[in-house]
Amino acid sequence: MTEAILQVTDLRVTYGKVEAVRGVSFEVQQGSLVTLVGANGAGKSSIINAIAGIVKPAGGKVTFQGQDITRTGSHKLVGRGLVQVPEGRQVLSTLTIGENLQLGARKLRGGAASAIDGIYERFPVLGERRHLPAGSLSGGEQQMLAIGRAMLAEPQLIFMDEPSMGLAPKIVDEVFKVIEEIRAGGTTVVLVEQNARRALQAADGGHILQNGEIVRSGTGAELLADDGIIQAYLGTGGGGK
Amino acid sequence: MFTESVLVFIALNGIFAYSFYAVLVAGQLSLGQAGFAGIAAFVAATLAPTPTDWGPIPTLIVAIVIGMVVGSLAAVILGLPTMRLRGVFLAIATLGFAEGIRIFILNQSWTGGAQGMSVPKIVGPEIAWVLLIVVAYWFWRQGRSRYGRALEAIREDELAARSIGIDVGRHRLTAFVSAGAIAGLYGVLWAYFMRIIAPEDFSFSTAIDGLVTAVVGGSTNFFGPILGSGFQTMLPEIQRAVGIEAGWLRPFISGLLLLIVILYLPGGIASLVPRRKQKIDVAALGLAEASGESVAMREHPAKGEVVVQLNALAKEYGGVHAVQGVDLTVRSGDVVGLIGPNGAGKTTLVNMISGLIPPSSGSATVLGVEVGRTPVHKIAAAGVTRTFQHSKLFNRLSALENVLIGTHLVAKPTFLRRLLWLPSARRDEQAALAQAARCLDRVGLLEKANVEAKGLSYGDQRRLEIARALAADPSLLILDEPAAGMNHVEAEELSALIRSLANDGLTIIFIEHNVGMVLGTCDHIAVLNFGQLLASGTPAEIEADERVIEAYLGAVQEAEAETSAPVVADASDDPNQGRA
Amino acid sequence: MQQLLNGLFIGSIYALFAIGFTLVFGILDRLNLAHPAVFAASAFVGIGLAEAFELSIWVILVLVFLFGAVLGLVIERVAFRPLKNRPDAHFAGLIASIAMAGMIVAVLQAFFGPQTRRFPEGTAPEGKVEILGASATYVQLAIVVICIGLVIALNVLVQRSSLGRSMRAVAENPTAARVLGINVDRVTAMTFSISSALGAVAGVLFALNVNSAQLGMGTAIELKGLAVIIVGGMGSLPGALVGGLILGIAEVFAIQYIGSSWRDFIAFALLFVILLLMPQGIFGKRKVREV
Repeated sequence: MTEAILQVTDLRVTYGKVEAVRGVSFEVQQGSLVTLVGANGAGKSSIINAIAGIVKPAGGKVTFQGQDITRTGSHKLVGRGLVQVPEGRQVLSTLTIGENLQLGARKLRGGAASAIDGIYERFPVLGERRHLPAGSLSGGEQQMLAIGRAMLAEPQLIFMDEPSMGLAPKIVDEVFKVIEEIRAGGTTVVLVEQNARRALQAADGGHILQNGEIVRSGTGAELLADDGIIQAYLGTGGGGK
Repeated sequence: MFTESVLVFIALNGIFAYSFYAVLVAGQLSLGQAGFAGIAAFVAATLAPTPTDWGPIPTLIVAIVIGMVVGSLAAVILGLPTMRLRGVFLAIATLGFAEGIRIFILNQSWTGGAQGMSVPKIVGPEIAWVLLIVVAYWFWRQGRSRYGRALEAIREDELAARSIGIDVGRHRLTAFVSAGAIAGLYGVLWAYFMRIIAPEDFSFSTAIDGLVTAVVGGSTNFFGPILGSGFQTMLPEIQRAVGIEAGWLRPFISGLLLLIVILYLPGGIASLVPRRKQKIDVAALGLAEASGESVAMREHPAKGEVVVQLNALAKEYGGVHAVQGVDLTVRSGDVVGLIGPNGAGKTTLVNMISGLIPPSSGSATVLGVEVGRTPVHKIAAAGVTRTFQHSKLFNRLSALENVLIGTHLVAKPTFLRRLLWLPSARRDEQAALAQAARCLDRVGLLEKANVEAKGLSYGDQRRLEIARALAADPSLLILDEPAAGMNHVEAEELSALIRSLANDGLTIIFIEHNVGMVLGTCDHIAVLNFGQLLASGTPAEIEADERVIEAYLGAVQEAEAETSAPVVADASDDPNQGRA
Repeated sequence: MQQLLNGLFIGSIYALFAIGFTLVFGILDRLNLAHPAVFAASAFVGIGLAEAFELSIWVILVLVFLFGAVLGLVIERVAFRPLKNRPDAHFAGLIASIAMAGMIVAVLQAFFGPQTRRFPEGTAPEGKVEILGASATYVQLAIVVICIGLVIALNVLVQRSSLGRSMRAVAENPTAARVLGINVDRVTAMTFSISSALGAVAGVLFALNVNSAQLGMGTAIELKGLAVIIVGGMGSLPGALVGGLILGIAEVFAIQYIGSSWRDFIAFALLFVILLLMPQGIFGKRKVREV
């Protein structure tokens, strides 16, 4: 049996008096790929931000590799291998591509240069333009930079928040290929996607969120097989009427 | 402790603090008031007659009029070029202007230069307090007027204020000019109390003192400046009275108290006094309607008339084509759904239609207005209001107050009539209230009218934003993901609301991810993908459209075909232990 | 030539002072109005150290640099950090820093009294040199070298070092910086610390240049510092240097051609013209925040 790398128990997130996440619990096994799917506003990004220490949870408990990290700040979590590829990529567009990667590789100190060269090898377009501002990259290239930057932090667990957003299908294919590679390298992946079918196909397991709660959980195949779920919760069938 | 001069200083500092309050309520930080006061004091003291000729009170009145006019003019001169500046930029520009005035006064012979100018003493505690009360009255009456609400809206969220038809530039300038007039009043009173005025009386530190007084008092309540002035003026007196004499200790304690107020009492001293929210009595609503008072209502374009006409509309951000070559016609009375994946350009498109961002190329005509060169508030006045993907409510105001601000375009100005307590102002306010209450009722939020906007649930916030947009009686309503965060039941109610609004003659464009809801609600659907219009037609046409199936809806077939494929490995690795 | 040189001396102090303002604004989007109080405090502390221990000016500069760094940490901790999550943090921070400034100057008064103070004789080397027909004291030359040296060093720090990259990351997008594991609180504190250390050195150099220190010296330079950062472009380090030198030189020439009483008018005339014609300043960029 593998063990859970991440355990989330009764997590709550509130903004003012708005409850964005109302008591969510799940576990992520070491080395697995888990996806959280749901409509915009269902609380997916809030869950990630609360686990990753970007926002403070209003309640609940999060343990990572057996240690309580509920109130640990992101700067410590990144050092411990809990890394995020944020929604909208969030590359630092006025910094050069090289500088973006250096920021990701701070933990490696002396080994940073060779690790960054590894990223340039995997994504040649980043290497060619390393001295240009990251803002000059296309959306797909920025996504690769964001992923590369996150990989340099040597993640044990990586959160991917909407990596396919705004990308052409061909690029989306490539993003999913990279996600598979990351996972094959032994890193646990938690994927948040609005492209639910695509995500469920790639995932070992998934949780469907609605209004800040998990309404269904299952393996990717189980969830995909249930047409009612797709229609009712993901809204891309005949739901609503 | 309450000597004559202490009493006068409380009043004078209070009036000066009101000149900061005047702009703080609109969210502006100006430090130019010392300059306005300075130029007003010197000009008034020079031009006004002497008390021996006219008698003291007429002299003072003439001087006050001169001072207030000079202060206002200085504010107009400074305000016209600087009203586009925000935050600290405005603060620094106004500060620079004030210092410029001070140095100018210092270098003129008619002002007496550094020695200053002697002025007869006319002002005593009675006059000072009467004028303080007049100024306080002015701001009291301003608070609950259409004008006062518009300023509050600008402070809370400038973009949302624009989008409901408030001319932000004009309102900001008006607030600025009133600050100039009141600063001028302060300058004149100071001159006629102190007997001698020098440029140093109107320096940078004077401006800082005024700002600090206004902030300590608080800008959420009209009597904040009086409280602030009482506190700031009495503090040294109390320290003296209890025997704190060391020269350094007094400014230290003042600084410490200021720090404590700003850290622990964000709304200033006035926030200790509970703010009376504008409450609504649901039963009284019927009475207001029966009395026949209602706001002016718009005539919607006839069913089928073209409301929105987009021609090759495009928007580019630094090489990224967010929207390109979109042609679209929207007809009156239609419900048009805008669908497409995240990042497809839907929000960019509606931002252009509502005038928030100018197109890079192509043209858009909305309700007869050419978008791109027209300011947002004018597009709103033409009948376009909207909600935002991330709710832009006036968070610290109640639900009712939010919607009341939404009535800006259809309500009549009431401030000046409120100053005179004219009954017609009260009737117009009642009419605006009734309109606001109707809109709240329409979205089902009437019972929550008195709840602070930020205290509402996500779904309620979305509905409140719709109510606020409806309050302006729009012909075209744009909703950006109104159902995000809503549950099934709420989404279905929303769908019914949209249909009923369309039956009233409104045209509605809405962005939504819930394709089922879009198919069930809309007359017409436009599908965006990578910034381009992929398809546009009736729900039936869209459902059957090959390209749409392939790019967007098609995932259904694809997924069904692939579920049997062994994509998912290893069931023993089952992470499905959610206990939710 | 002599005028140009004099303008350069005073302008380089303006630049060093203003760069502290602009550093905090550029990275954190906050205006720290306690900065002028640090400027004044360090001048007094420098004079106090010189009197008490007869230290050389070089030792004093190092000590004052450290004093400013610590004071910057205190200001950030007391007046800014508690406000960071408030919606009106910008405005509240401004007021809180005004309060801090008042308290710092009050403490100065407690220690040093309200009188004007001077460095004891012999603190700084005396003597003059001739440069292209103009004369300059060693002190003046040292001022230019130290100021421009520090400004360049800061630029290198921001552009090349890991801390500098983190600072620029926070400047552009604090959330992205947090996602990358940057300790934003620490970077914020460091920024305040560096900013105040530079302001402290500027204070000592200013007191040395005019050979006097007064409690109100911070207020006098505050307005000029604000003018400099607007002229140079809010948040731009090269802008602060160029803006400071422009202001210094313009003032010296104004004294000569218009009269000394109009000297202080120059800063505001310059400020206004720039705000109206190019609100982003000489080096500022629109919308994009940079350090």
